[in-house]
Amino acid sequence: MTIALLNGIQSEWLKKKHTAATWLILAGAFFMPVLTLTVRLIHPDATRKENMQETLWTMMHYRNWAAMSMFLMPMALILFVSLITNIEYKNNTWKQLHTTPQTFRVIFLSKYIVIFIMTVQLFLLFHIGIYIAALIPSLLLKDIQFPSAPFPLRGYAKAAIYFFIDCTPIIAVQYLLGLRFKNFLVAIGGGFALLVASLLALNWKYGYVVPYIYMPLGLRENRTFVDPNVSRHLCALGYFAVITLLSYILYISKKEKS
Amino acid sequence: MNCIETKDLWYRYTDGMPILKGIDLQVPAGAVYGFLGPNGAGKSTTLRLLLGLLKKQQGEICIFGQRLEENRISILQKTGSLIDSPSIYAHLSAMENLMVLQKVYGTPKHKMQEVLDLTGIGNTGKKKAGMFSLGMKQRLSVAIALLNAPSLLILDEPTNGLDPSGITEMRDLLRRLNQEQKITILISSHLLAEIEKVATHVGVIHQGSLMFQGTLDALMQMQEQTSAHVLETSDNARAAAMINDRGMVARIENSKIIMPVVPKDKIALVSALLTSNNIAVYSISIVKSDLETIFIDLTKNK
Repeated sequence: MTIALLNGIQSEWLKKKHTAATWLILAGAFFMPVLTLTVRLIHPDATRKENMQETLWTMMHYRNWAAMSMFLMPMALILFVSLITNIEYKNNTWKQLHTTPQTFRVIFLSKYIVIFIMTVQLFLLFHIGIYIAALIPSLLLKDIQFPSAPFPLRGYAKAAIYFFIDCTPIIAVQYLLGLRFKNFLVAIGGGFALLVASLLALNWKYGYVVPYIYMPLGLRENRTFVDPNVSRHLCALGYFAVITLLSYILYISKKEKS
Repeated sequence: MNCIETKDLWYRYTDGMPILKGIDLQVPAGAVYGFLGPNGAGKSTTLRLLLGLLKKQQGEICIFGQRLEENRISILQKTGSLIDSPSIYAHLSAMENLMVLQKVYGTPKHKMQEVLDLTGIGNTGKKKAGMFSLGMKQRLSVAIALLNAPSLLILDEPTNGLDPSGITEMRDLLRRLNQEQKITILISSHLLAEIEKVATHVGVIHQGSLMFQGTLDALMQMQEQTSAHVLETSDNARAAAMINDRGMVARIENSKIIMPVVPKDKIALVSALLTSNNIAVYSISIVKSDLETIFIDLTKNK
């Protein structure tokens, strides 16, 4: 099973070559850092002051994650997960894939794992982008010194892990929709509808029932109305487990695998 | 020994209408089995069931002597397939398409170039498969089917989209694979002319039922049996009566006399008999019902 899974992952990894998904990861990861960097270069005085403050890294984290967790990250996930899953429908290759000597479990997991590896890539590149956005003004502009505060690796990693957990229901739902529906627009449309619903649900006490809400809830100011006694991370993991199981059951019980 | 064997294979779609009605397919090992039938007869459904793409509802499927349900993976390890339209990743090159499957099959890397050369698309370089002509896509699909050095090839209408020279090349390739590498080939088509040039065995399916199954020779024999002598004379009624009086069988159809094929000396006797009785013989010919006619008869009459 392990070797078959590794082979399956390698095979799935090759399929994403030359697809828009790869570019989407890069664009999604660097969009906010590039924007932040541009603002910092346009306002060198403010940047000079920020770089001398202890809170620089907290500010950078907030500025980048604010838009990222609210909209950009969920949007990137909706798009690239749907793109990756739709490869087989688009190329009429499900029948080819299902006649390879792989169990349906291996096929299901291989694709899912590749999606998770790409999500990790997205997170890593995003954080590298934040780091670079903080340093570049000092390299380009002479009178701006390097940040005086040390980079809080542990704090950034902890926050990233929480955000990662919070985004798992989005991945699971998009994977289910992508496997289930041939029409790419169903997955994208469904994803956007759930994202909008989650943003609206931020004003509702029981907003935590919407599976796409946990990333926006990562920002403190979004937690005013939603019941604070409910752990968003546990909810996210619960949703992820249930939707993944449902997705797998629907996939293996499909009568026609072509 | 049969490479593929199905017993009482039924398949119904959700509306309950049967697509397959108790198919007993027997594909001998080493054969090129032509699976013939008009569009919608149930060919593709049968092939999809054999490959596990459709969930079996009733009956039994054995491939390489193993039941498909319990041995799907080991059977697929030795099987190559091409179902319907080409199934390839349009954004990848031919080589990259093969690499995707090479990872799964674990075949040696040199095999990829081998199958590309074998199918005549070895020099497509980095060109994306989506830019290929339909014929090239079909060849790539065959290359993919051959990548794992299969013992069994299941091909659903593999010449679709190929030009006449492509069809000939494909036929030669299949013949070579069968003769040199001893690969059993199950090939479906709705064109008998295409199958009769390459198949050793034939199965004819119509409306979900198997109408004929046997060797191509048996089908040819059927052809012989349905051949006839056709005579055109100045007085068909009198001529037919005279032939019947001599103990031979003759009937009139479409203003012509039809009689079963008889030896040359007997036909000379008939000719002499008619002319000596002042009946002019305009023509005597043999009409062979081609396999196409037999195929149509089989699918029409039962």
